Amino acid sequence: MNKELEHNFVTNLEQNQNIVHKVCRIYTNDADSHNDLFQEITIQLWKAYPKFRGDSKFSTWMYRVSLNTAITLYRKSKRRIKTSDFDSTNFRITEEEYDDEVEQQLKLMYKAVKQLNDIEKALVFLYLEDKSYREIAETMGISEVNARVKMNRVKTKLKKILNP
Amino acid sequence: MDELELLKKDWKKQEENLPKLSYNEIYKMTLKKSSSIVKWIFIISIIEFLLMISLEVIARLNGTYDTYEDIGIGNGFTIGLSCISFCILLYFIFQFYKNYRKIITTDSAKVLMENILKTRRTVKRYVFINLSFITLILLSIFAYTLFYSTGFQEIQSASTKEVPTYLIAVFFFFVTILCVGILGLVYYLFYGLLTRRLNQNYKELKRLEV
Repeated sequence: MNKELEHNFVTNLEQNQNIVHKVCRIYTNDADSHNDLFQEITIQLWKAYPKFRGDSKFSTWMYRVSLNTAITLYRKSKRRIKTSDFDSTNFRITEEEYDDEVEQQLKLMYKAVKQLNDIEKALVFLYLEDKSYREIAETMGISEVNARVKMNRVKTKLKKILNP
Repeated sequence: MDELELLKKDWKKQEENLPKLSYNEIYKMTLKKSSSIVKWIFIISIIEFLLMISLEVIARLNGTYDTYEDIGIGNGFTIGLSCISFCILLYFIFQFYKNYRKIITTDSAKVLMENILKTRRTVKRYVFINLSFITLILLSIFAYTLFYSTGFQEIQSASTKEVPTYLIAVFFFFVTILCVGILGLVYYLFYGLLTRRLNQNYKELKRLEV
C-alpha cells in the first residue's frame, strides 16, 4: 500500500482516536484488553481504509468499523478479567466539581452499563455519543422504530439494575 | 433527572482523560496481524477442506479402493464416487469464497454478522454432506460385501463358527452410525464454541426485528 495513503490514515486516526478509546472503554475492563481491542480496531480500520471514499465523514465511518470490530470480529483475549472484578474508578476520573451523591450515582451507572450485553452496549454508546436514532439504526442494521424501542428497553433495564 | 442524561454529560467530560497514542504508536499497530474471528474462521475452514480432501487421497493411496475391487466392486464405481465428491468440494469452495468476499467491516452490524455466519455455515454444510456421503458409501459397500460378493461368501463358508450375516450387518451398521455420530457431535460443539458470541449477538439483533 502506498505511503501517502498510510500517512493519511494514521494522521486521521491519530486525530480521531478518542472514538476508538471510548469503544474500548465500553467493551473492555482492563488496560491490556483495552490495548488489544484498540489494536484490532486499528488493523480493521486500516484494512478497510482503501475503500473509504470520503462520501461520509472519517469519524462516522470509524464508528461503524470500531463497533463492528468490538461486537463481531474481536476475540476476547484470555487475559481479561470478569465484569464483577471491574473497578469503576478506572472509568470515572474524579472530578472535583461533582458532589458525592452525583459521583456515586455515576459510578453505579458505569457499572450498570458494563452489565449490558454487547448489542445494548453499542446502543448506549451511540446514544452517549449523541447519535440520532437514524444513525444508530443504520449502524446496527435495524429499523429506526426498533432502535427507539430497544433504547427505551435498555433504559428500563439500567433502571432495574440500579434499583433492584 | 434521567440517569442516562447524567451519564451523557459526564461521558463528554471524560474525553480529556482518555489515553493519547502518538503517530508512531498508531503506525506500528497498522503493521500488526489481525486476530479477528473472520481470520480464524478462514483458517479453520481451509483446514477442514484440506482434511476432507486428504481423507479421499489417503483412501486412494493406502489401497482401500483396491479392496473394493477385490470384493468385486468395479473401478468405474470408485472413480465415479471420487468425481462426485470432487464436484461437491468445488461447489462448496466456490460458495465459501463468494461468501467470504462479502464480509466487509463497513456494513451494518447485522449484515456483517449475517455474512460471517453464512460463510461459516457453508463449511459446516460441506462437512455434514461429506460425512453423510462417507457413511452412505461405507454402509452400501458393506451391504454389498455381505450379501452379494462371492469373496465374502467363501470366507464365511470356510470358517468353522458361523455367525449369522444379519448380526454382522446390524453390528456394523451401529458401529458406523456411532462413530460418525460422535465425530459429528464433536464437530458441532467445536463449531458452536467458535461462533457462540457471534450467534448470541446476532440473535439479539434479530429479536429486535420481530
